[in-house]
Amino acid sequence: MALCRKILSLGSPMRQLVLSSERCLSVSTTHHIDNLNKKQVEPKGVEALNPVEKNLTITVEGLADITKLTGVPEEHIKPRRVLIKKPTKNAMQSGTNNLHKWVMTFDTKERWENPLMGWASTADPLSNLEVEFASKEDAIVFCEKNGWQWAVQEPPQKPPRAKSYADNFSWNKRTRRSTK
Amino acid sequence: MSSSRLVNLRTARQVKPMLSLDRAEARTRVINLYKAWYRQIPQIAIDYDLPKTQSECKKKLKEMFMKNKDVKDIRIIDALVIKGQMELKETVQVWKQKHGIMAFWAPTVEPKPKDFMGKFLDGHN
Repeated sequence: MALCRKILSLGSPMRQLVLSSERCLSVSTTHHIDNLNKKQVEPKGVEALNPVEKNLTITVEGLADITKLTGVPEEHIKPRRVLIKKPTKNAMQSGTNNLHKWVMTFDTKERWENPLMGWASTADPLSNLEVEFASKEDAIVFCEKNGWQWAVQEPPQKPPRAKSYADNFSWNKRTRRSTK
Repeated sequence: MSSSRLVNLRTARQVKPMLSLDRAEARTRVINLYKAWYRQIPQIAIDYDLPKTQSECKKKLKEMFMKNKDVKDIRIIDALVIKGQMELKETVQVWKQKHGIMAFWAPTVEPKPKDFMGKFLDGHN
């Protein structure tokens, strides 16, 4: 503050000199920092300045590859495999309401036992990560955008069980249950 | 959502741009950002008292830009330019510290062993 006041009290040419020597930003750099939209690119016309507001569109092909933007380290993009599947029903319960989704899980990496306490340890930031999707296509799109190799495991198709009340009383189909 | 969306996403389609409308414009932005960084290198080296020569800094700068040379999507290029610009602003305003700049060289990261014996001694597969 004191320095600022001192500079302001100086004559104008001197002030210019001090201020400019304090931080030698080239003109283009300051422009660049403050105005990405307007100063650095030669404007083609008014509409070129704000394409989103003017409802302009561009043509793209294929899915956007966001791996360069996410900040995920390369070692967790290329070698990682993703399994997309429906969750398994709890064998001890008959409810199925929590199975109507698709879950994405990563391949397991090295795990080890903590020598002191015997806890299970891992150095994998993506382990124990389960991402839920409404459909498998959503999950596939997500994996492709993030550059992970994916595999889909379809739930097994069971043949429908014949349900007949009369079968309960059949003499030769071994479907009779004891009433005891 | 049906699988038709997957097909739709793979074919050419119209999307909203981020900043640039074509590749040439995106390229101009990239080059502008590169020049801004390039011109700022001497001041950055003084501000942060970097133990690197200017040519090393310039080499690193080029390396960072060339890392993304295969990016084709204009929107991604724009996003990268915006991120690079934020990075430049943080650097110029000294919102970072010295190790934040030196992290570009990652001097503390030890390369992982590639051969069998090295991995074995390291305790990894």
